[in-house]
Amino acid sequence: MDCRAAVDHHVCNGVCGCCGALRPRYKRLVDNIFPEDPEDGLVKTNMEKLTFYALSAPEKLDRIGAYLSERLIRDVGRHRYGYVCIAMEALDQLLMACHCQSINLFVESFLKMVAKLLESEKPNLQILGTNSFVKFANIEEDTPSYHRSYDFFVSRFSEMCHSSHDELEIRTKIRTSGIKGLQGVVRKTVNDELQANIWDPQHMDKIVPSLLFNLQHAEEAESRSPSPLQATEKEKESPTELAERCLRELLGRAAYGNIKNAIKPVLIHLDNHSLWEPKTFAIRCFKIIMYSIQPQHSHLVIQQLLGHLDANSKSAATVRAGIVEVLSEAAVIAASGSVGPTVLEVFNTLLRQLRLSIDYELTGSYDCAVISAQIIKEHEERMFQEAVIKTTGSFASTLPTYQRSEVMLFIMSKVPLPSLHHALDAGKAGENRNRLTQIMLLKSLLQVSTGFQCSNMLTALPSSFLDRLLSAALMEDADLRLFVLEILISFIDRHGNRPKFSTISTINDISVLKLKVDKCSRQDTVFMKKHSQQLYRHIYLTSKEESNVQPHYEALYSMLALISIELANEEVVVDLIRLVLAVQEIAQINEDNLPVYNRCALYALGAAYLNLISQLTTVPAFCQHIHEVLETRQKEAPYLLPEDVFVETPRLTKSLDHLVPEVFFRQSKISEVLGGSGYNSDRLSTPYIPQLTDEDRLSKRKSIGETISLQVEVESRNSPEKEERAPAEEITYETLKKAIVDSVAVEEQERERRRLVVEKFQKAPFEEIAAHCGARASLLQSKLNQIFEITIRPPPSPSGTITAAYGQPQNHSIPVYEMKFPDLCVY
Amino acid sequence: MSMEDYDFLFKIVLIGNAGVGKTCLVRRFTQGLFPPGQGATIGVDFMIKTVEINGEKVKLQIWDTAGQERFRSITQSYYRSANALILTYDITCEESFRCLPEWLREIEQYASNKVITVLVGNKIDLAEKREVSKQRAEEFSEAQNMYYLETSAKESDNVEKLFLDLACRLISEARQNTLVNNVASPLPGEGKSISYLTCCNFN
Repeated sequence: MDCRAAVDHHVCNGVCGCCGALRPRYKRLVDNIFPEDPEDGLVKTNMEKLTFYALSAPEKLDRIGAYLSERLIRDVGRHRYGYVCIAMEALDQLLMACHCQSINLFVESFLKMVAKLLESEKPNLQILGTNSFVKFANIEEDTPSYHRSYDFFVSRFSEMCHSSHDELEIRTKIRTSGIKGLQGVVRKTVNDELQANIWDPQHMDKIVPSLLFNLQHAEEAESRSPSPLQATEKEKESPTELAERCLRELLGRAAYGNIKNAIKPVLIHLDNHSLWEPKTFAIRCFKIIMYSIQPQHSHLVIQQLLGHLDANSKSAATVRAGIVEVLSEAAVIAASGSVGPTVLEVFNTLLRQLRLSIDYELTGSYDCAVISAQIIKEHEERMFQEAVIKTTGSFASTLPTYQRSEVMLFIMSKVPLPSLHHALDAGKAGENRNRLTQIMLLKSLLQVSTGFQCSNMLTALPSSFLDRLLSAALMEDADLRLFVLEILISFIDRHGNRPKFSTISTINDISVLKLKVDKCSRQDTVFMKKHSQQLYRHIYLTSKEESNVQPHYEALYSMLALISIELANEEVVVDLIRLVLAVQEIAQINEDNLPVYNRCALYALGAAYLNLISQLTTVPAFCQHIHEVLETRQKEAPYLLPEDVFVETPRLTKSLDHLVPEVFFRQSKISEVLGGSGYNSDRLSTPYIPQLTDEDRLSKRKSIGETISLQVEVESRNSPEKEERAPAEEITYETLKKAIVDSVAVEEQERERRRLVVEKFQKAPFEEIAAHCGARASLLQSKLNQIFEITIRPPPSPSGTITAAYGQPQNHSIPVYEMKFPDLCVY
Repeated sequence: MSMEDYDFLFKIVLIGNAGVGKTCLVRRFTQGLFPPGQGATIGVDFMIKTVEINGEKVKLQIWDTAGQERFRSITQSYYRSANALILTYDITCEESFRCLPEWLREIEQYASNKVITVLVGNKIDLAEKREVSKQRAEEFSEAQNMYYLETSAKESDNVEKLFLDLACRLISEARQNTLVNNVASPLPGEGKSISYLTCCNFN
């Protein structure tokens, strides 16, 4: 074939021009399609002849193409643009008429011609070339083409996308052509593995930014006002819309392995053009991406965004906030697929960024070594933190229930808490950092838990989680306590009753609240059996805090009310009443020297709750008693009612010393009336006394000695007044000992625990089990720490010295043994 | 008569800080004009010019990149396929000279390792405002093993020379490569596509 071609050329060269009749037939046919005057356009009849010839002798196609292109190149050189257009038209027609298998021979010269047109400086030729190329791109070839390179086309079309031609109209046309051309290249190559891989960075780095560049100039294009007649047509052709369509098409075709190369240029483009802030464009971009990408790949986009966030750890807070906002939007779109297989990694990254931001905010610089290279704006960091928290929430909302509780467990495990075995950073800065971290993490947790509806409290709130959460409830920091209460409330409230208790009041008829109540499920009963004492204790201790303000009391009220609605059986109701009476006693005895406001608030809280529970139990005598007390208060001491206390300016009294006994709710009376209705009156008449644990002491940072004496005091105060105390409630050495060796209970618990473990391993997914083992590893860690602690310290002697041991600042550097086991050890 | 309208095809990419006169150099060379008040290039610009050197047609594909930082990612993507880079700075602007090492790093990172780099100090018509001495630039280019030239796009000093010299060097480089690896694989700068190589030689 080569040989023949050579001969042809030879003949042509030797004879061409001298004697037309001797020229090969295809040349004559080609020549005939060109009119004398280019104005006349393609000679239609002759074109038909040429097409017919090409169809009947497809083996000649390559030579027809070569000859046409030769003519075209010559015409371009001689500026005979009329003929150029005619040649191109003829090429297009041939291309359309010929069928796939024969096209291949023809394409090479075709592409050469397009390239020639694209090389021209004349916009018209560029556009002409692009249009032909687009027509070609829409033909589906079925024969592979081995050495066809689109490098030049990608480069040139990308360049056209950036056209800066002086005339706006022409510029728009060139840019539009550029985009169409890119679209053509993508269509042509995307499915053909033999061809240049369009997904290679060298191409993607040109195509994607060119499209984005046009996408981002939407405003610029819209601001000009075209005449209304042209408007519709222009709109159809606007580079912005075209770019968007092209981008969607591109991303829609991206396979798993190509996503990265396609998204990376987007991220870099947004970086370079500082488009993270204001973030509207970035969000728009990623909306386009998320909606057009194949859904099973969406988690890859999220991962890349997260990676980009990490890479930008030291960028300005506004940039980071922009990325995080984009993440949040993208996560919602990707919904269930957003997180992919690495749930915890997503949250880990977010939390890490949160901690970094707190550090930046506190230290005032990105790097301790660099002396204030960049000034950190505190409010920007704050905004960033809020954005991270919001994003955490939107990620969590896409997760199925079981993963959500896993995530909550994970976040909780990151909250720095003072514990027996792990000292927190000491010093002022460390304390500050801890506090901020605690607040931010609890906020994230709250964000994650809102709207979380678990069917089973037991799995939603495993003890490892609840323990940590509750220990945070005892922090001195009022804000922290409020967060913990809110989190607990959002867990307990599964019927949306929460807003009905947002204000504390004594309502005469609770039916107006239209409460939604389901029967307490068996699992919930088990949950309460297991954890109720813990909950009560924390409610009790929290209500004692002096730094409580109205929101705290409101949260406490909501919590009590919601427990009564969601989780209560008879026993729980009895316990809650005991608890509230004990709270009343706090105010009454006032051993902590609480201010009048706090005491009134506690009285009012009790009144509101007992009013509610009396109506829930619908025991007439009980309601009667509560009603009486409320009436007396109304008359004698309105400052003990929520209506007077929980308002903007509480109407308080000066002294609470001389209250008549009728304003108090009496335990004996209540147990009497409820006992008549089948409630456990023995239990009811026993006053509630919380059991303090080591943990409480530690988080309150009070010395052991103090707490013990406090406990003794509580006891001594209580005992003379209440004779009916059950011996089991007395806190003596014997009781404690008994509690420890209470083998029956322990056995039962053990059995339950075993059942749960077996169930878990049978039903739970692998990740969950792994996470569980991970938790165990940390337990091992803490045990190890404990052992080491003991070995490096003198065993504390009883009483006094313990205080000193706990009080001493533990700011020594972390020795090897305190290093965390990496999470990987789990697997 | 050959299918091709050239014997060699080379891709040349101009890089350097914003406002050093890259576009003006290209315009001067390809169109013979000096557009006063030339705006900043957006993304990339493309020009083509065919020159004849020793009877051989050399087609130069010239990609003129934007100097602005924000277009850096798209311009970098053009380095890769370049046969030659013209690294431009402004002799009246110390800053543009001081950025050269950074540009060299970019070249190292993104361009092919066979690329030929020319250092160009532009705007010698503004001699009275010169901030970077010729000697300094020569020393620098010598240390970096680069060819150095001072030009003025405005006065058209050395502009032709710059591109023609570059073309010559590219040709000799391409020839050398042909000798070294005597395979029929596509060579950098070899403009002829394989299928027509035989017929070209035949004639």
